[in-house]
Amino acid sequence: MSEDTTERIRGVIFAAILSCVCGLLIVTTVSTLKDRQDKNILNDKRINILKSVGLIKENIKLSFNEISRLYTENISSYYVDSDGEILPDNSDVSKKIKIYFYLKDGAIEAYIIPIDTRGLWGKILGYLALQSDGSTIRGFTVYSHGETPGLGGEIESKWFRNNFVGKKIVDQQYDFVSISVAKGKTTEKNAENYVDGISGATLTGQFLTTGLKQILMNYEPVSLRFRSGSIGKKFKLGGSPGNNEK
Amino acid sequence: MKNKYYSIITEGIFSNNPVAKQVLGICSALAVTVKFKTAFVMGFSLTFVMMFSGLTISLLRNLIPRNIRIIAELIIIATLVIIIDQVLKAYLYDISKQLSVFIGLIITNCIVMGRAESYALMNKPFESFCDGLGNGIGYSFILLVVAFIRELLGSGSIAGFKVIPDYLYKIGYQDMGLMLLAPGAFIVIGLIVWLMNSFEKGTK
Repeated sequence: MSEDTTERIRGVIFAAILSCVCGLLIVTTVSTLKDRQDKNILNDKRINILKSVGLIKENIKLSFNEISRLYTENISSYYVDSDGEILPDNSDVSKKIKIYFYLKDGAIEAYIIPIDTRGLWGKILGYLALQSDGSTIRGFTVYSHGETPGLGGEIESKWFRNNFVGKKIVDQQYDFVSISVAKGKTTEKNAENYVDGISGATLTGQFLTTGLKQILMNYEPVSLRFRSGSIGKKFKLGGSPGNNEK
Repeated sequence: MKNKYYSIITEGIFSNNPVAKQVLGICSALAVTVKFKTAFVMGFSLTFVMMFSGLTISLLRNLIPRNIRIIAELIIIATLVIIIDQVLKAYLYDISKQLSVFIGLIITNCIVMGRAESYALMNKPFESFCDGLGNGIGYSFILLVVAFIRELLGSGSIAGFKVIPDYLYKIGYQDMGLMLLAPGAFIVIGLIVWLMNSFEKGTK
C-alpha cells in the first residue's frame, strides 16, 4: 500500500471513532438529562401562563412545587371548536384549539390563548391573556423565540410585554381589529390597538402583528361569546377540566 | 514558569487580540453588542468553550490526521458546546434561556476554530488552555467596550439602567438609532482597532 492510501484509511478510521465517541457522549447527556429538561420546560410554560394573567409578579422566584400548586388551583385547560363552543380537555373533536381559563371562585376571570407564530428568525411562542369582557388584553408573555438578542429579542423584555396590558383587540364599535406592533412609538390616535414597537426590530414587529392577528381570528368565535356575555362570569363549565398542557 | 503562561494570556488580550488584531469573530461582535448584558454573557460562554476546546484539541493533537483536522476540530467543538447547552438546560434553565442563540453562535465563531487551528494543534494542553482563556478575555473585552458605547448612545442606558436624564430628552436629545444597527457596531469596532493600533505604535 502506498503511503497516501494508509493516510486516507487512517483518516477514515479516526473520523469514525471520533464521531462514535462524540455521538455517544451527546446521546448519553441528552437521554440522562431529558427528564429534568422536560420538567423545566413544563415549569416555564406554567410560569408564563400564570404571568400572563398576573398571578406571578415579575422578578419573583417560586419553587417548582409552589408554581405547580398555583397552576392547578387557578388554571384549567380546555379546547374550543370553530363555533366557539367550549369542550372539555378529553373530547375528541378534530378541529379544536387549545384555551386556558383563569378561574376565580368558579367564574372565568380571564382566558389565555397560546401564541405560536413565525418571527423573523424562528418561532415565537407565548401566551396572550384576555379579560372576560372578550376585548381587553390582560397580559402577554413570550417563553421561546429565536430573535436577535437586544433587537427582536426585546419582545421578551418586561417593557415590551407590559405594553400590551389594557390594550383592546376591538375598535370603538366593538368590531375585531386585533392588536398591532407600531413602527416606533404609538400615537394618541392609534394607542388603543397598537403597542410601542422596538427600534431596530421593525420586521419582528411585523411578523408578530400578522401572527397575532391570525391567531386572534381563530379565537374570535370564543371572544365573541365573551363579548356578548353568553360565556360570562356566571357561565358554568361542563365536563372535567384538564391540568395537563400537552 | 508563571511568566510564560501569564504572557500567553496577556498576548490574547492585548498584542494579539482576536477582534482587533486577528480580525476574527467580527460577526458575533456585531450581533450581540446592542446590550451590555448580552455581550457579557456571550463573552463569558465563549471564554469557557475556548479554554476547554483548546485543552481537548491539544490533548488529541498527535492523533488527529492532518487531512481531516478541521472536521475533527469542528466535531470536538460542537460536541463540547452541545453538552454544555444540555447541562445548562437541565440545571440552569434561566441562564440557558438568556443564552438562547449564543450557544449556537459559539460553534460557528471563527475565534474558536482559528485558535484551534493556529495554536492548540501545535502546543501543549495547558498552554492551549491559557491561550483559550487569553483570547476569550480579549474577545470579551472588545465586546464589552463596544456594547458599552452602543448601549449608551443607542438606548441611553448602561447594563439596563437609564443614565441619560429625562430632562435632556425633553429639551430635544435623541438616542442614536444608528448605534442599534450593525453599521453602528462596524464604526465602533473600526475606531477601537484604530485606537489599539496607534496606542501600540506609541509604546514601541
